[in-house]
Amino acid sequence: MSVLLSFRHLRKTFGERKLLDLDPFVIGEGEAYVITGDNGSGKTTLLRILAGLEPGEIAGFEYRGLPLTHGRLPEDVRHDIVYVHQHPYLFHTTVVHNIGYGLAARGIDGAERERLVEEAVAWAGMNHLRGVPPAKLSGGEKQRVALARARVLKPHLFLLDEPTANLDGEARGQAIALIRQLVQDNGSLLIACHDRELIELPGMRRFHLENGKLDEV
Amino acid sequence: MDILASTRLAFALLFSGDAELWTIIWISLRVSLIALAVATPPAVVLGYALAHKRFPGRRILVVLIQGLLSFPTVVVGLILYILLTRQGPLGSWQLLFTQEAMIMGQAVIAFPVLAAFALAAVQGADPRAHETAVSLGASPLRAALTTLLEVRFAVVAGVFNGFGRVISEVGCAMMVGGNIAGVTRNIPTAIALETSKGDFAQGIALGVVLMLFALGISITLGLLQGRGGLK
Repeated sequence: MSVLLSFRHLRKTFGERKLLDLDPFVIGEGEAYVITGDNGSGKTTLLRILAGLEPGEIAGFEYRGLPLTHGRLPEDVRHDIVYVHQHPYLFHTTVVHNIGYGLAARGIDGAERERLVEEAVAWAGMNHLRGVPPAKLSGGEKQRVALARARVLKPHLFLLDEPTANLDGEARGQAIALIRQLVQDNGSLLIACHDRELIELPGMRRFHLENGKLDEV
Repeated sequence: MDILASTRLAFALLFSGDAELWTIIWISLRVSLIALAVATPPAVVLGYALAHKRFPGRRILVVLIQGLLSFPTVVVGLILYILLTRQGPLGSWQLLFTQEAMIMGQAVIAFPVLAAFALAAVQGADPRAHETAVSLGASPLRAALTTLLEVRFAVVAGVFNGFGRVISEVGCAMMVGGNIAGVTRNIPTAIALETSKGDFAQGIALGVVLMLFALGISITLGLLQGRGGLK
């Protein structure tokens, strides 16, 4: 297994309270991990720290062997890691614009962007919703747009925060099917969740976060 | 004074295409719109920075902007007059009693309104908007523009409020513009002058125009609130 991302020690405190106090952790290239834990155990915070969205004390932080200073991730590393919120935020434009946003940010324009967006729209089964304002989408549809918006960028690491929380029935099944495809496509994923079906996806390594410590189960 | 006759004459002036009247309206619009165009970009940048960044002096700047919201326009005019008068530090620019001086004054008056609205808009934005942009690889500038676009209705509401403040202000325009017919006479200064001369017809006609502007602004703001919940 080649190492994608690793740290020697990660700590996060809120005043006197120590939320995370993690020992060495390695994310392998093409590997999928699920992190379980009670509400408030720090799963979301861990994902946000790794995404560079929240400060934390990290020692020995490396991405593909390149030492990183947390809080100032180089652009190419930022482009390799995509974080998806528990309740994804969609820009007040259209489904197609949302999916193409990250491509535009990377300077991919014109026919190439259109082609990639079309492919992502089809992958997520969103063809019938392409022009719909995001405010009119259901929670499950928003989650699918967010997954397609992340996947179209072909990141090396997906950080998914409770991707099936608050979804039920068909919407949950569709989200799980998309995540299953990401795993099968050899994507590296770190997923915080409580969903039994996601936890038991084949090929998933399982960790449990409790009292600030992460243990493989 | 026959109010009815003056009002009738006022509407006759408006609809007859009276050149003097329409020149005053044109000068008002030109000065105020240019002032807004000048003030809006830096005010929005400052509002965004104050809402989004933490830096020394930030609190003081926020309090200053809030304080300037109710700053008397005549004092802005006074300060600008002192700066632009022939003996003043900017006297060599020879801008006193020109439209450019009025634009400077109105830009200063509109600035805190625009910045305060941008600040409130960005503070009220969903923090996930900026985080999503960053996570999708947006540069700081693109992420900032995206956030502002997400709260565009509230930012535009600030522009309309700023317009409402400057189009109707009289103190600064009178002091640095000088109320010169055909050059710096705008709606508020013309109303003040015509009323003092006892010519109520033109004053009423211009007052109607100002009220129509105010009504237009209110309707537009109402529509914006309806569209975006002011986001």
